Amino acid sequence: MTDQELFAFKRADDSASEHISAPKYSYWQSVFRKFFSSKTAIVMLVIALTVVLIAFIQPILSGYDPMETPNINNPSMRFIRPNGEFWFGTDDKGNSLFDAVWAGTRNSLIVSFSATIITQILGVTVGMFWGFSKRFDAIMIQIYNVLANIPMTLVAMIMMYVLGSGMPQLIFALSVTSWISTAYFIRVQVMIIRDREYNLASRCLGTPTVKIITHNIFPYLISVIMTSISRDVPSFISYEVFLSFIGVGLSQAHASLGRMIQTYSSYMTSAPYLFWIPVFISAFISVSLYIVGQTLADASDPRTHMV
Amino acid sequence: MENKNIILSVKDLVVKFKVRDRVLTAIRNVSLDFEEGKVVAIVGESGSGKSVFTKTFTGMLEVNGKVTNGEIWFEGENLMTYKTDKEWLNIRGKKIATVFQDPMTSLNPVRTIGYQISEVIMKHQNKSKEEAKKEAIELMSRVGIYNAEQRYDEYPFMYSGGMRQRIVIAIALACHPKILVCDEPTTALDVTIQAQIIRLIKELAEEYGFTTIYITHDLGVVANVADNVAVMYAGQIIEYGTVEDIFYDPRHPYTWGLLSSLPQLGEKGSELFAIRGTPPSLFEEIKGDAFAPRSDYSLAIDFEEEPPMFKVSDTHFAKTWLLDPRAPKVDKPKQIQNLHEKILALTSKGGIYGER
Amino acid sequence: MKNYIFSRVIKSIVAVMVVVSIVIVMLYTMIPRYKIFEKDEGYKKMSGDARTTYMYSRYEELGYLDFQQKSEMCSNASDNYEACMVNDSEELNAVISEYENNGYVVDYLRNGDPFVYHDYNPLQLIWNFYSKLIQIDHPGYVKDENNPDIERKYYIGESPNGMPAIMCSGCQYKYQLYFNSSFPFIHINAIHFNFGISYPTNEGMPTWQVVSQGQGSQVSTEQTFPSGVVEKSPLNQYTCQYKPILDTIDQRRFTDNYANCQSYYESPSMINTSYIFGIIALVIAYVVAIPSGIAMARNKGKIVDKAGIVVINFLIAVPSLALIFFVRQIGSIFNFPDRFPILGFEDIRSYIIPIIILALLQIPSLMTWTRRYMLDQSNADYAKFAKAKGLSQKEIFTKHILKNAIIPIINGIPSSIILCISGALLTESAFAIPGMGKMLPDAINASNNNMVINLTFIFTALSIFSILIGDLLMTVVDPRIQLAAKGGKKK
Repeated sequence: MTDQELFAFKRADDSASEHISAPKYSYWQSVFRKFFSSKTAIVMLVIALTVVLIAFIQPILSGYDPMETPNINNPSMRFIRPNGEFWFGTDDKGNSLFDAVWAGTRNSLIVSFSATIITQILGVTVGMFWGFSKRFDAIMIQIYNVLANIPMTLVAMIMMYVLGSGMPQLIFALSVTSWISTAYFIRVQVMIIRDREYNLASRCLGTPTVKIITHNIFPYLISVIMTSISRDVPSFISYEVFLSFIGVGLSQAHASLGRMIQTYSSYMTSAPYLFWIPVFISAFISVSLYIVGQTLADASDPRTHMV
Repeated sequence: MENKNIILSVKDLVVKFKVRDRVLTAIRNVSLDFEEGKVVAIVGESGSGKSVFTKTFTGMLEVNGKVTNGEIWFEGENLMTYKTDKEWLNIRGKKIATVFQDPMTSLNPVRTIGYQISEVIMKHQNKSKEEAKKEAIELMSRVGIYNAEQRYDEYPFMYSGGMRQRIVIAIALACHPKILVCDEPTTALDVTIQAQIIRLIKELAEEYGFTTIYITHDLGVVANVADNVAVMYAGQIIEYGTVEDIFYDPRHPYTWGLLSSLPQLGEKGSELFAIRGTPPSLFEEIKGDAFAPRSDYSLAIDFEEEPPMFKVSDTHFAKTWLLDPRAPKVDKPKQIQNLHEKILALTSKGGIYGER
Repeated sequence: MKNYIFSRVIKSIVAVMVVVSIVIVMLYTMIPRYKIFEKDEGYKKMSGDARTTYMYSRYEELGYLDFQQKSEMCSNASDNYEACMVNDSEELNAVISEYENNGYVVDYLRNGDPFVYHDYNPLQLIWNFYSKLIQIDHPGYVKDENNPDIERKYYIGESPNGMPAIMCSGCQYKYQLYFNSSFPFIHINAIHFNFGISYPTNEGMPTWQVVSQGQGSQVSTEQTFPSGVVEKSPLNQYTCQYKPILDTIDQRRFTDNYANCQSYYESPSMINTSYIFGIIALVIAYVVAIPSGIAMARNKGKIVDKAGIVVINFLIAVPSLALIFFVRQIGSIFNFPDRFPILGFEDIRSYIIPIIILALLQIPSLMTWTRRYMLDQSNADYAKFAKAKGLSQKEIFTKHILKNAIIPIINGIPSSIILCISGALLTESAFAIPGMGKMLPDAINASNNNMVINLTFIFTALSIFSILIGDLLMTVVDPRIQLAAKGGKKK
């Protein structure tokens, strides 16, 4: 180019001056990309999925029922060490531990998933209202101040005592004692997002409330809910195991890892596999679900998507 | 140039930040000399790099930021050779002090005001607790706190915003620094308090004889307090000169834009001026003149090649191709043509910075 | 400030009362009442009228209902006792219909004797509990037909250790207020909580005594009795209550009727056992977790931090039950007992593994919070300004950030300390430690309702008031709160 050309006026079009160098962005794509970038998470996801699948399929095939003990009078069937036929061995009543463990795992997962779903639906709904409505907040915060101080383990135990020890009762007791803290957590998050400048600005510019909720608040809340779920699922599993272990959880009619651990602890020296396999499995489920949940919660936070 | 007393000299500085695996170049080859005893104002819009630039003087960059090129000479030493925190401790606070934007959060809420001042005196001047207390109380009175002795043991929340900023200034002055960096010291304050604080800094600068570096986007402050002005855009200084040079004879289209957008200059009935577009992304390499896409006076060469610093006068420099002899002649925009008279008219009316 | 504390205390008391009331009503109305006899061997052996009377007497004793047998009915509702005591007499029938009209249910024993009972409604249940809850001792307490002229007065006397004590004649307790060397040094017998009696386990004992009395066998020491006799005895003379009929040993030792004393035991009570474990574990947890949390914050993103996060995540993810058994197993490799009673209270090895476990269970959350608080504070503007002031990294951390970050941690300390009493359920179960933690599930499994109510009261009250204390402690450590309150006074 000649000097004359170089020093001629040239006006860039407006689009160039408004150009913001941000790559195309899709929320869910970014969530998946972020999640699958962690190798540990993938491994744990495979483990968790396998555990869940086995836990829901195996008991259907085996038809395990803790109240049925066909081999109880056959001494040769008792305390068989783990082998090719009985992978986890047999117990004092001649039942296969493999069947018992997966039935117990299934029950733990059912209890945990159901309680998580109920807690989240209740907690998120109440928490949203709580966070948005100042009047509701004034009442709820008083209720929360009372409830939050009560030891919830105690309440759960007394509820199981009063209601009886079945699966629905356990799910009820766990949900009743947990929803308020979820609601409180959501309330705080909603309050934070609600008053962020970009939402105020959005409202001032006339964005409809529905669009503010779906576009501004919901993506942020998803990661908050994810975080909450990722904590709930493993903690409810531990909770079930704990309550059954101390004898106020699931009744004898249900297979339960906690009850197994409690019953078999007396065979700790004579047949240690009976005790350690349920302990190990319960740890395994919790850890894998916890890590998957944590990674998913991280990945669903839009702030981590800036790569 | 040679006979001037240069206290701090920055040469070819480049600062890069690592933000989530991407590299952002915040400062792009900046060179600047600061004269002793002068007040230098650095102006520019948010994100132009003015804060980052001054943070490098005290080694206060965030952990993800790094100086990748350049030198900063102060008292015969190149500060960029400092590696450990220990080396910086001789400079930071002691020789170069900083006052931040928000006095509300700059003070530790659970320590007394007195503790926070005398702590610095004890540390940098090796004085005993009693001596430090005495000096702290003196300083407090000096920055305009009444009943300093009584208020020594009070906590920050008991002070108003303006008083806290006075305390922050007192802390910054506690070890008699050579340079005081004021990073938007009045932005968070009430308009009525702003003038007081600015006046206070000005008086103290004369009394203690330190060099002041102002970071601000408030051109009103600049007009009032600065001796020299540096205009920053997209990590570069695009124009530098005395306050008269910049206000009465600006040369860079960005400076024109900046001055045109002063609301005080708007005429009744006409629309306020605004620079169109947004600043360029510093994540990407910038080709040519960074301001060209937003400029009404851009030339073809602005999109091809970066302009050099053209010398307008002994004190005045600007980085625009418009100053090249080959460039077509351009008139300044109408709004700022009689800026001198307009500013005089404003100040004579007794505007808030009317004391200059 | 005073108003704030007052309203907080009132709210706390209301909260405890609401929870306890709900539990009382649930326990008494929703659980089939026959369940209380499931563990009662004596009941199972009885039959016929004896069984019926025993059953209803028990129900009455435990507060389910008001139960009256024929003689009681007659003496309460009839002018002519003799005539009333004859079955099918007009007098008796009149009494029965009177009871029926008052809402009582009438039934007959096999021998033809009538009896009546009437279930308490929820409000009566709650009233019965609270009206008997606080018992204030007074000189008119003793009503002994054999001793109608007992002197009724308070006086300053000398307690067995020679210290002065406020004593009482005519009260339930002889020593109303006394001092000695055992915690909490000042002891008051004038006011007692009555949570009812324990049944079917620890039958007949007040539930509070079950958890607070020493365990194991009694320990005798040489002591001087009021009569001047010096003997070896396990009795704790400070706890002596009025005893209507004295045996010969009592007569030899005591000069008055205050001879019904509790004993000294070799092992600490359930509360104290839990407390010993809890406090030591707590101290260890704080000593480990706070410095490591700080270290993680100071080295954010570096190897120390990353390793810490891995450890924390592991400890959180593994269910406590599994963790307890893992550590217990590791302990037994190093020859530590896997059950507390194996070596018992005397041997220090009994304590080590449970304490390590208890500490490990608290460490992850404590570490996470410490790290979080430290990081939040180090991002604060005042930390940046402190750096600009020229303070070294270490000075900024120790003199500025720590003081801010420690405030919320201090807030949690009272509740951690107080809640040690509630024991650690799983750990105590796993090691068969005779502490408080196991009491609640045991009481539930034994249908010991009064014990469940008592424990609910203790745990709820402890947790609510410990949070209150934590908040009040904040006003001491955080100048903003303290001084804000002073400012409030000026108005």
